[in-house]
Amino acid sequence: MALTPSPPPAVTSLACPGCGAALQIRAPGRSLVVACVACGALLDAQHPDYRIIERYEGKGAVTPIIPLGTRGTLEGETWDVIGYVARRTKVAEATYTWFEHLLYNPTAGFRWLVEYGGHWTLTKSAAGVPKLAGQEAEYLGDRYRHFQTAKAEVAGVVGELPWQAKVGDTAVVEDYVHPPLMLSCERTKEETTWSIAEYVDGDTVWKAFALPGAPPERVGVGAAQPSPYEPHSKTMLLLLGAFLGAALLVHLLFVMFAQQRLVLDAVWEYHPGSPATASVESAPFTLSGRASNLVVEISSTLAQSWTYFTLTLVDEETGAARTFGREVSYYFGRDSDGSWSEGAPWDRAWLPSVPAGRYVLMIEPEGPGPVSYRVRLTRDVPRPLWVWLAVGLLLVPPLLFWWRQWRFEQRRWEDSDHPRSGGSSSSGDDDE
Amino acid sequence: MIRAYSVFAALVLTTLFWIHFTGWSPSHVTEDKGVPRSVRDNPGSYRSSYGGGRSYTGAK
Repeated sequence: MALTPSPPPAVTSLACPGCGAALQIRAPGRSLVVACVACGALLDAQHPDYRIIERYEGKGAVTPIIPLGTRGTLEGETWDVIGYVARRTKVAEATYTWFEHLLYNPTAGFRWLVEYGGHWTLTKSAAGVPKLAGQEAEYLGDRYRHFQTAKAEVAGVVGELPWQAKVGDTAVVEDYVHPPLMLSCERTKEETTWSIAEYVDGDTVWKAFALPGAPPERVGVGAAQPSPYEPHSKTMLLLLGAFLGAALLVHLLFVMFAQQRLVLDAVWEYHPGSPATASVESAPFTLSGRASNLVVEISSTLAQSWTYFTLTLVDEETGAARTFGREVSYYFGRDSDGSWSEGAPWDRAWLPSVPAGRYVLMIEPEGPGPVSYRVRLTRDVPRPLWVWLAVGLLLVPPLLFWWRQWRFEQRRWEDSDHPRSGGSSSSGDDDE
Repeated sequence: MIRAYSVFAALVLTTLFWIHFTGWSPSHVTEDKGVPRSVRDNPGSYRSSYGGGRSYTGAK
């Protein structure tokens, strides 16, 4: 859609009755007051002679972040900066100040471009009165959560304003957030007004008004700042579900199609000092298929004792031998704490990547007492450990993501009337 | 983040498949003969009736 630039507003020039400085009124007929940039005097913009309403002797003079008269385009409309108000509130001895730029477009009317801590919002009058329910406000179908209620005081004024703002004027401001939107209610003795604001990135403001340098650095998380995590949260959950499902499916497929074939099941006895039982050899057995694991299970009649088994798997064709040792020990008893046990009379080991071939297993037990033991070898068994490890790894990034999302929200709310507990703020990732 | 997670997950799943297929294992199969030495020498020594926590239980 082609945008038609707004014509420049009709400008009325005058000399400040207080100091003689040249002033301009860019919204004649709509501005109620104009504050002199030079002396800070507040003039009645509706009076034919622009009479002075208030003299501040420089107290209320402030320097706008965006100079008065600057023109820019935001959200498809052309705006002129015509006024500027600095407002502050005190909370527990700390003073918080924010800055409001009044933007004017002859067709679209007024907007406020508000800056606080490097966070910007573009504000306009709300189209109706929101419905309040407890700590929430409902506006145009969206629910806004109460963020803060504060007494705001005008700290400085410059340029034109559509109401009679004076330094020291106060109003009670209630903010409700639904990022990137924020509803604000401003109550004075005379009136209650509602406005709706949308978060604007500082770089966007700088580009819109072609300002030199960089926007003020962001501090913390703005009340209406959209979370960079929120749009991806659901996708992350879906991906996690898909990847966990895929990991379980991989395991299930191997459970279904793996050989899991018992290739050796034999029982022997060991007697210390008996050379015949000190070393035994199994009957030959065949391992088929691709190189895969071999599960070695030893079960025994051990009780209050141990046996160390030196096992050697020998490929009869190549002579290649793989030696490994396993200890089986089992102790149990009873004491003042009740029954106890240590170890087990059985053991299981997983031999990795054993090639196909014809093998024998040689076993050399040693131990303090006689024992009867059984050895079972099973070919190609999917190990559940790996799928649980994969599940653990797949959980790490989403958990990290959701933790960061939680931290972001925690930092948003820490300056509100409803801070979330669970940790202190850090400045290292303030500009998320 | 979403893209990085997808790449990471693809690597994890590929590794899982490869480990299952080859039967690979990073762990050493052989157990040390001296383990658990404390059990051999003094079974039940870790229990609270021995003062709580693990302690030196003597040589084999």
